[in-house]
Amino acid sequence: MALINKVLPGYVATLWCQEGANPTALTDAQLATWTNVETIVGTSAGGTGTAGIQVPVETIPKFGADDAHVAYAIAGARTGAKMTTQNQVTSLSVIAPWNPADPAQLLIRNDGYNGTIIRTYVIAVYDGTDTVAYAFNGRIGGLAWEMATNAEGKFIFDIHPTGGNSYGWSNNS
Amino acid sequence: MSVQQNPAIYAECIQYQLENIVTPIPVYANFNRNWAKEPKFVTWHLRNIHQPVYTGQTQNNKGIDRPVFQMSIFSQKLEDALNISNNILQSLHGYSGVFGDPGTTGFFIAKADIVWLYNTYDDKVGLQQIIMDCTLDVPT
Repeated sequence: MALINKVLPGYVATLWCQEGANPTALTDAQLATWTNVETIVGTSAGGTGTAGIQVPVETIPKFGADDAHVAYAIAGARTGAKMTTQNQVTSLSVIAPWNPADPAQLLIRNDGYNGTIIRTYVIAVYDGTDTVAYAFNGRIGGLAWEMATNAEGKFIFDIHPTGGNSYGWSNNS
Repeated sequence: MSVQQNPAIYAECIQYQLENIVTPIPVYANFNRNWAKEPKFVTWHLRNIHQPVYTGQTQNNKGIDRPVFQMSIFSQKLEDALNISNNILQSLHGYSGVFGDPGTTGFFIAKADIVWLYNTYDDKVGLQQIIMDCTLDVPT
């Protein structure tokens, strides 16, 4: 198996989460290890799906790291400067079409009200053969429901990553 | 790295995929008045093959391919045409996987997205028609 070597449509990205009301989140090392991550990713995206379920989102929000820096200026000097600091793993603001019986949405709703549960999430891209996965641990915040009368009902929530290093890239190659 | 797919391969795969969905109803590329003797059949037309081109001078710096093909369903009875269109919708709308013959020219598509456009009636040939568009997202 080779690493995916193609330009991919955004549609191939899917969001997965650990199942169970009280999950044991992966360690930092496991987040970058495919044999651990593949259990959360379902078979439709090249994983095994034995310990995870899909979160049905409308689109995968931008993910990665925040642009963290400090800026300072020097009196009398023409320019200031930017110094990068340790970048945080970015929070994801997710919009899902609301289905009150969807098991992943119910888990996330419970996590959001609980406030302390840490769960592993995986964003997988799949080209029909191979998978590249971005895994991170996060808590849920900002639960919101939006029921505009002229559109689909939305379930909106934020996934806030825990720790500065609780993320990892892996693939099946 | 991004290579433009051969339109001939798109054509082969559309033909194969549609034949598999609507079998035993015949599938043709383009309309021909001779087909109009048949009680029901499907034709397709390929259009809008385009990958966005990014900065030069390297030719393969391009985006994904999103070809569009149109399907026209012809039938003497409107009910038949509607049911054929439903077969195509159920099978292809949102489909992700191998498109075309997996043994020969079939390729992976990320998504097939169908828009059911309209139905109409051609008085000259006496056939009901349903027109649908399908957009493919092809990793390249």
